[in-house]
Amino acid sequence: MAEKSFETTSQACCSTSSESSPILALPMDTPLRKVLSRISGFASSWGKKTVTAPRGRRIFHRDVEQDEFQNGSAHCLSSYYSVFVARLAIMVMLAILIGLLTVLTWHFTRVYTTKSLNTLAYGLRYELLQRPILRMWNVLNSTSEITTAQVKLSEYVIKRYSKPTNQAELIELYQMMKDITWALFASHKALNAITINYRNGFVQAFHRDHRSNNTFYIYSDLANYSISDTQSSQQGWNDQFIHGNESAIWYRQPLDPVTGEKQGKPSQIPPEDLINIAGPSQVPDGVASWHVAVSKYTDSPLLSAALPVRDASNRSIVAIVGVTTALYSVGQLMKELVEVHGGYIYLTSQEGYLLATSTNTPLLNNTANGPKLMMATNSEDRVIQMGAQWLQKTYGNKFPPGHVVHVEKANLGGQHYYIDSFFLNLKRLPMVGVIIIPRKYIMGKVDERALKTLVILISASVCILVIGCVCILILTNGVSKEMKLRAELISHLDARRRAEASSNYKSQFLANMSHELRTPMAAVIGLLDILICDDCLTNEQYAMVTQIRKCSTALLRLLNNILDLSKVESGKLVLEEAEFDLGRELEGLVDMFSVQCINHNVETVLDLSDDIPKVVRGDSARVVQVFANLISNSIKFTTSGHIILRGWCENPIVSGDSGKLSPDQKNPLSALKTKLKQHGNHMKKASKKDNKMILWFEVDDTGCGIDPSKWESVFESFEQADPSTTRTHGGTGLGLCIVRTLVNKMGGEIKVVKKNGQGTLMRLFLLLSTPADGIEQQRRIDFAKHGVAVILALHGSMGRLIMSKWLSKNGVPTLEASEWNELTQILHELFHARTTNSGFDTHYSLAKPLRSKVQTLQDMKNPVYIIVVDLGLLDLSTDIWKEQLNFLDKFSGQVKFAWMLNHDTSNAIKMELRRKGHILMVNKPLYKAKMLHILEAVVKESYVEPQNGSPNGTKGTSKQGDSHECLEIDSSQFETCSSDDSDISEMTGANSASSVGVGEQLKEGTVLKSGPPTLRNCLVEFTRLGLEVNNLRTEEDQCNGRPKLHDTKDVKCENPDSSEQPSVRSNAKDRDNSYTTNKAANEQKTLEGLRILLAEDTPVLQRVATIMLEKMGAVVVAVGDGVQAVEALNCDLDGDENRTNRLQTEICDSPPYDLILMDCQMPMMDGYEATKAIRKSEERTGWHIPIVALTAHAMSSDKEKCLQVGMDAYLTKPIDYKLMVSTILSLTKRSP
Amino acid sequence: MDLVKLQRQLVDYKASLYHECVLDEQFTQLQQLQDENNPDFVVEVVSLFFEDSERLLNELTKALEQQSIDFKRVDAHVHQLKGSSSSIGAQRVQKSCIAFRNYCEEQNVEGCLACLQQVRLEYSLVKTKLEYMFQLEQQILSSGGSIPI
Repeated sequence: MAEKSFETTSQACCSTSSESSPILALPMDTPLRKVLSRISGFASSWGKKTVTAPRGRRIFHRDVEQDEFQNGSAHCLSSYYSVFVARLAIMVMLAILIGLLTVLTWHFTRVYTTKSLNTLAYGLRYELLQRPILRMWNVLNSTSEITTAQVKLSEYVIKRYSKPTNQAELIELYQMMKDITWALFASHKALNAITINYRNGFVQAFHRDHRSNNTFYIYSDLANYSISDTQSSQQGWNDQFIHGNESAIWYRQPLDPVTGEKQGKPSQIPPEDLINIAGPSQVPDGVASWHVAVSKYTDSPLLSAALPVRDASNRSIVAIVGVTTALYSVGQLMKELVEVHGGYIYLTSQEGYLLATSTNTPLLNNTANGPKLMMATNSEDRVIQMGAQWLQKTYGNKFPPGHVVHVEKANLGGQHYYIDSFFLNLKRLPMVGVIIIPRKYIMGKVDERALKTLVILISASVCILVIGCVCILILTNGVSKEMKLRAELISHLDARRRAEASSNYKSQFLANMSHELRTPMAAVIGLLDILICDDCLTNEQYAMVTQIRKCSTALLRLLNNILDLSKVESGKLVLEEAEFDLGRELEGLVDMFSVQCINHNVETVLDLSDDIPKVVRGDSARVVQVFANLISNSIKFTTSGHIILRGWCENPIVSGDSGKLSPDQKNPLSALKTKLKQHGNHMKKASKKDNKMILWFEVDDTGCGIDPSKWESVFESFEQADPSTTRTHGGTGLGLCIVRTLVNKMGGEIKVVKKNGQGTLMRLFLLLSTPADGIEQQRRIDFAKHGVAVILALHGSMGRLIMSKWLSKNGVPTLEASEWNELTQILHELFHARTTNSGFDTHYSLAKPLRSKVQTLQDMKNPVYIIVVDLGLLDLSTDIWKEQLNFLDKFSGQVKFAWMLNHDTSNAIKMELRRKGHILMVNKPLYKAKMLHILEAVVKESYVEPQNGSPNGTKGTSKQGDSHECLEIDSSQFETCSSDDSDISEMTGANSASSVGVGEQLKEGTVLKSGPPTLRNCLVEFTRLGLEVNNLRTEEDQCNGRPKLHDTKDVKCENPDSSEQPSVRSNAKDRDNSYTTNKAANEQKTLEGLRILLAEDTPVLQRVATIMLEKMGAVVVAVGDGVQAVEALNCDLDGDENRTNRLQTEICDSPPYDLILMDCQMPMMDGYEATKAIRKSEERTGWHIPIVALTAHAMSSDKEKCLQVGMDAYLTKPIDYKLMVSTILSLTKRSP
Repeated sequence: MDLVKLQRQLVDYKASLYHECVLDEQFTQLQQLQDENNPDFVVEVVSLFFEDSERLLNELTKALEQQSIDFKRVDAHVHQLKGSSSSIGAQRVQKSCIAFRNYCEEQNVEGCLACLQQVRLEYSLVKTKLEYMFQLEQQILSSGGSIPI
């Protein structure tokens, strides 16, 4: 029952989903399985719905990690459903358990009780019925006994009086018989009557009327009987004789029931009042018989038995004895039984006539002919009647053998009864006993209780089920909550992973884009460089191209920044460990930026303390990048003033030194230092071993400054201190972010530090290791010993101040002048004061401190004066500078001039300076290394001079007395010499280097333009050659006219020998054949001796390319298509092979052609196919002929394709002459 | 005086050609390639270009007149024409060829025909201009002058 109800509820809840579930179409065995399948179908269909939803969403995302996510979500969902299913399963199990329990309880309480009760009831019923039957049996027995006794007595008496011969004897006999019979009758109270019917028709009978409690003696009139009659009428002795004997007169005499005394006169009775007299008809065959009779004197049927009395010879029947017993006592017993036990009992004959019942209803029908036996079905008692009818209806006449019927549930008139019947098989009187007991008498309580028990059981189980379900829900709630949390966690993880992936894709995309864009940008810049060198540009064009060049550089820098950032973000940035000269790198950087700064009217100063190690290990490009970014950032925001790059080494011994250099920053620095101490301490142990040093740097500018609240955030990516800066200054805000990540990567820190005055002060430290062999001792000339004095006539006050401090620290007395007048004053003071002409003194009165300084200088013995003059001090706008120069010339004998040139100083001025013998020229800005070189040069010169000429050319200063010679110290020179490779190959470095290079080219260009035409031509070629060899090395090649004498260079433009040198350097392989030839010819025949196969179908192009190549000395074989190209190559290969076979000794390792130029689109066989074929055939020989693709498709995919099929390089049409040559050279160099 | 005038005219004419984008620097390169070994290099190459282009133009016309146009073939022809025109620096022809190829890829017959017309026009323009230039050069040479670069 419980299951059923559960099923219905679950069906109800599943009904909505059941339609959509296809599983339900399957046939199911049990309802439980159906339910389960529905649940699973429900769950799966639900699951499908929810699973497909995110899948649809994911299509938009195109997530690569789709599978992973799917697994995760599936897992989460499955866990969710598993909880659901588990709950249901537990509930169902509980329901089954409780249902089973209920059923079992029901079964045991109900069925077994019922069974035992039934057994008991059966026994009871049997017993109940058995007793009246026994009584009946007793009645029958006693009746038969009495009958037998009467017969025996009668026989005995009749034998004694055998053959009565007279009336007296006969009367005596009858008297005797009467006495005997009375004795018997009186001894048996239960007897109703005893009759003796003699052969002669005489009847003697005793009758007891139970209702009136009277006893009668009934006899017939003796008068009509005779002894003789007896014999004669033997044949006609029958019943009719008795009843029909109208003639006979019957008498009835009441008797005392106890004594048998006669109590009255015999009265004649009518024949209808006669009792039953047993006649010969009852013993037709002479044996005893039974039958049921009725009499009007009793209510109950009578049982009468009859036996014949035979004569002595036992041949004939002389009399018939009949005994009648009322069945009243059986009915009485039944009543008594029923009173105790309830129910109904009745006895019927086999025919269905009622013999006895337990009720008081009459058993006889009073008809006109006297009472008749009644059928049980006609009984007046309703229950007996219905029972009999039910039995008859159920069994009809076909009773089971023995008439034994046990029915437990017979519905009689709306009530249930037990009906049992028994069969009593008496001879000639079979009887059936039936007992009807209402069910409720026996089972009434049981049935009622069973119903109550059932109700209680069901309600209890339902209660338990409900409670159990609630318990399950409560118990599993925790689990499901946890599951939900887990699912949520998983989804969050997925979301995070997805977000990370998308961010990754973004940066990946940016990186890729930057990378892809960088390549064409590099090409653009290279081409612009070439274009700038072109001599046929007008001034406007030149300006425009320069502008484009600048913009391209800016764009490239931005791309580089993005690339760097994404590199750092993805953790792919690996710092290389290489030794580099930190000082030189920084000097180069300052040189580079000073160019930019001069336009801005900003002074760039490099202030490195002397304790900074010369060589450190680290990633030079990245270090330079850090400072480049910082300086460019400073320049951006500084409109006037200065930018100082300070550097010192954290070393306890020299820390005081650095403090001296930057006294005002001492205090905040110490705070930072203490903060650093903690992690510096444990770092120190490591640094001892690795020789690590903490290098401190500051970038100090006088720009607009940064708001203190933004000091941290400026280092975030795309973060700018002021949003308006993008508008006014441009930039993306990536620079500082890169700086910080790089600095952190190098184990340092960067922060903005509070500064006195306007501007920003960025301070950082880097952890760099120095080479294991220790800090090399700096070669230093003791300038004090040489008596050198320096007059700094410089514009920039900051640079001047720092320089003079440094010089005086090294024992070189200095004087400072910031403008022309000051300089002249000092000069006058120094020299004219001594030469007595003191007319100026009143005019040029010096300030006191300066004068004292001048005097200390004057005190020096034979000093070597060096005057560092900023060209900016001269008035260049008009022609006054020539006057000023002439003025200075007057002192040329006493002092040495070193000129500070601007990057844009016009060549005329330079020429003029050279003409006047001013050979010491350096570019701005002035920093220590430059100063050192100036000093060294001067000191050496001063040594050389007394010796009248230098011993060799390497010192190369004064040997050439020619006025066109000059000694030019260009620090960028040795900078590039030292680290140009790493610098230029690295794109960031290339920017700076090439921008410097551009400046120099421009400078050279102006020289060349103004020079004689021959010189110009040769230099144009020169330039071109440099570009051909290596586009990026333009700078070096520009300058390679100067021999590398560690820091000084000779430029002798007219000397063909000196211009020979670059070609020797750049084209070492051509050395053998190009030494003697003209330089131009040498340049043009760069491809001398190369054999080139040209596969090109367009005749025009074929011709042009052929001429181009032939002009450069190459041997060209031109073919029209790919097939011909392959053939040309193969026949030569075969030829070679044959030769090889013939001449074993000859080592033939050179392919027939040095290079193949292959057009991609050709008839018959295109370039790709041809290349494949060639590469295939090459496998035999092991050669690799460089194949250069020529194509008009200017797309990178074509390039990919070209390289894929085995080509080595790629040229686009129209053929760029220079590009082609450089490509060919680079490829043929590989294969000698 | 006449010679100087002629020379000046030639220089101006060349400048105008560059200015009108009829020619580009590729032509300059061609001229630079010409030396005493190949005195008539430019003329040789240009006449080669004329021959080739006329052949190609005829082929193109034929190809485009057909019922079912073999665009691959047309494309190959245009590609060739583009290559050769770019090699002599006939910039405008080259540009028209690029447009032509785009239409070819789209298989746009109308566009192709229009482009063919355009290419033909540009080609004839370049041809007349160059022929005139050579004429000028001849004149200068015949009157004993040298050709200014």
